[in-house]
Amino acid sequence: MNPTYTLSAGRRRANRLATVAVTGAVFLALIPLVWLLVTVVSRGFARLDAQFFTWSMRGVVGEGGGAIHAIVGTVLITAATTAICVPIGVGTAIYLVEYGRGWLPRVIRFVVVVLTGLPSIVAGLFVYAVIMAICGPGTRSGLAGAAALSLLMIPVVITSSEEILALVPNRLREAAIGLGATKHRIITTVIWPHALSGIVAAVMLGVCRIIGETAPLLLVAGFADSMNTDLTSGRMSTLPVYIYSQWQNKGANLAAYDNRAWTAALVLIGLVLIFAVASRLIVRLTSSRPQR
Amino acid sequence: MKKTTVIATGVAVIAALTGCAANEVATDQSTPPPASASHTATRLTGTIDAGGSSAQTAAHEAWRAGFQASQPEVTVNYDPTGSGTGRQNFTDGGYVLAGTDEPLAIDHVAGPFAACAPGSALVEIPAYVSAIAIGFNLDGVASLTLDATLIARIFSGEITRWNDPAIVAANPQVGLPDLGITAIHRSDKSGTTHNFTDYLAQAAGSAWPYPVAQTWPSQLSGEAAEKTQGVRQAIIATPGAIGYLDASQAQGMGSVVVGAGEKAVAHSAQAAAAAVGASPLEQGRSTTDVVVALNRTLTDGQSYPIVLVSYLVACGTYADPDVGQLVKSYLGHVVSEAGQQEAAKHAGSSPITADPTLSGLVAKAVAGIH
Repeated sequence: MNPTYTLSAGRRRANRLATVAVTGAVFLALIPLVWLLVTVVSRGFARLDAQFFTWSMRGVVGEGGGAIHAIVGTVLITAATTAICVPIGVGTAIYLVEYGRGWLPRVIRFVVVVLTGLPSIVAGLFVYAVIMAICGPGTRSGLAGAAALSLLMIPVVITSSEEILALVPNRLREAAIGLGATKHRIITTVIWPHALSGIVAAVMLGVCRIIGETAPLLLVAGFADSMNTDLTSGRMSTLPVYIYSQWQNKGANLAAYDNRAWTAALVLIGLVLIFAVASRLIVRLTSSRPQR
Repeated sequence: MKKTTVIATGVAVIAALTGCAANEVATDQSTPPPASASHTATRLTGTIDAGGSSAQTAAHEAWRAGFQASQPEVTVNYDPTGSGTGRQNFTDGGYVLAGTDEPLAIDHVAGPFAACAPGSALVEIPAYVSAIAIGFNLDGVASLTLDATLIARIFSGEITRWNDPAIVAANPQVGLPDLGITAIHRSDKSGTTHNFTDYLAQAAGSAWPYPVAQTWPSQLSGEAAEKTQGVRQAIIATPGAIGYLDASQAQGMGSVVVGAGEKAVAHSAQAAAAAVGASPLEQGRSTTDVVVALNRTLTDGQSYPIVLVSYLVACGTYADPDVGQLVKSYLGHVVSEAGQQEAAKHAGSSPITADPTLSGLVAKAVAGIH
C-alpha cells in the first residue's frame, strides 16, 4: 500500500516542500566544495610535472623549481606531530574513560575544550617564545613546528578517542571482571582491540586538523628553499608555508609563482586524500583482525 | 603479513622521499669550483640566517641562486618577517644579516649587536632599490599624469571622482569616466607606505599634512589591503581603484606618470636609479654606514621620486670569523654588477651599480667585513 494515499493534500505539500528544501541544502553545500576542487585542479594542473616532485627551490629563479622539500617537510613534521600526540592523547583518553574519578577528569575535560578552540597562531607564538628562551634567538627547527602543531592536535585526539573508548560496551568490561581479569588486562586485551579502528580514525582526524596549518609553522619552522631532513635543526619548509610564501613574495614573473602556489595546493589536497585513504585501509586491516 | 607489506611500502616511499632533491646534487669538497666563481677563491661551507624586509625577498632568491652557483655548500635563508622584526633579530643575534626598508637610527648604530664582535663597526648598504608604482584600474586607460599635489588629494580623500576637473585638466587627452575613486592603502606596517608618505610629505607640501610613517594615517579613509599582493588584488578587482605597490608587481594595471615641476616621469629602473644617484648621502654616519637621504623633489625630468631604498645590515667584524667570511662573500655577490643585474631581471629592481660613486662606497664597506 502506498502511504501517500493516506496523506492529506496539505501534508503532501509540506512533505514535498521539505524534500526540496533538504535536497537544495545538499546541493548548496556541495557548490563551494566542487567549485574549490575544480579551481585548484584547473589552476594547479599547469605545474603538475615531474620537476615539481623532484626539485626543491634551491637555485631556482623565476620559472621552474619544485616542492619536494616542502612535501618531505610536511610528511616529516606531520609524522613527528603524530608521534608526539598519539601516546599523550590516547593515554589521556584511556585515563579519562577507565580511571578518572573525582575532580581531575573534570578539569582535564575543561582544559581540553579550551585547547580545542586555541587559535593556531597562539600555539605558534607560545612555542616560539619557549624555543627562543631555551635555544636562543633565531632558532628554527622542524621539531619545534611539530611541538606547536601538537598543541592543536592533542585536544582533537583526546576528545575523539574518549568518545570511541566510551562506546566500548560496559558488558564487555563486566564480563572481563567476572572472569577475574585485572584492570590492565581489560584495557589491553578487551578494550584496546575493540576500540583500535576507532582510535586510528581519531588520530587521522587530528592529522587532518594540522596538516594544513600555516601560521605556527611560519613562526617556528620557518621556511627554506633547500631540502632539510633533519627535524632537530634548521628551517624546514612545509606545503602550507610554501603556498603562502609563493603567493606573498613574488618576483617579476608573477605567473611562475602563482602556478607553483596552486600546484602545491593541489598536492596538499592530494596528500590529505592519501592520508584519508590510508587510514581507511588501516581501519579495515585492523578491524578485520580476529580478536584475541 | 599484509600489514607488514603496507609498512614496508611506507618505509620505502619515505626513504625515497627523504633522498636529495634532483637539483641539490650532493657535492664533495674536492671538486674544484666552477670557472665562473670570480669573486670567491675559496669554497665555503655553512648557513647564513638572514631576514627582514619582505620587499627584498624576490631579490634574495636571485642573489642566492647566483651565489650558490659558485658556493654550492652555502645555504642562505631569508625570512621575509618585515623590517622591524629583521632589525630586532639582528640586534638579538637571531639573524647575522638583516634586510630593512628603513636604515637604523643614528643613535642605534653603535649597537651592541649579538652577532658582532665587541666594538665592531656597523655595515649598512643600500642593496635593493625599486620604484614604487601607483597603479590604477580604469578601463582602457594605461597611463595618467598626476603630480604630487593631485596624488595627495586623491589619497587623502579630497578628490573622490575620476572626472574631477583637476584630474581632467592634468590629462586633457584621456577620456576619464564618471566613476568613484577607491584609494587603496596597506593595512600592515610597510616600508612601501613609509616611502610613499615620505614622497607626499616632501613633494606635496600643504596638500599632505599627515605624518610620514610605516602605517597609513589612521585619520584617512580608503580601502585597506594586506601586503603587496593584497593591494595588487584589490586594484585588479575594483574598477576605479588606485593604490601604491612595488613596480615589479604593478603588471596588468594602468600606472601613474608622476609629474614633478614642468616634467613628468614614468616609473622605470633607470628613473629610480637616477633619483638615488641625485640624492646626497645622509650626514653624520660612518663610511661603512651608507645611507641615502632621498630627495623626492627633483624636477630634472629623469628621476622618478617614489623610490624604495632597502638596506642590508651586517657587522663590520663578526664574533665568529667563519660567519664573517660567509656574509662578506654573499654580500660581495649581492653588490656586484652580476648580482644587481640578476635582481633587476628577477625582482624588477634597479641596479645600484648604475651609480659608480655609490656602488664604490658600498663595495668598499663590504670588502671591510671580516
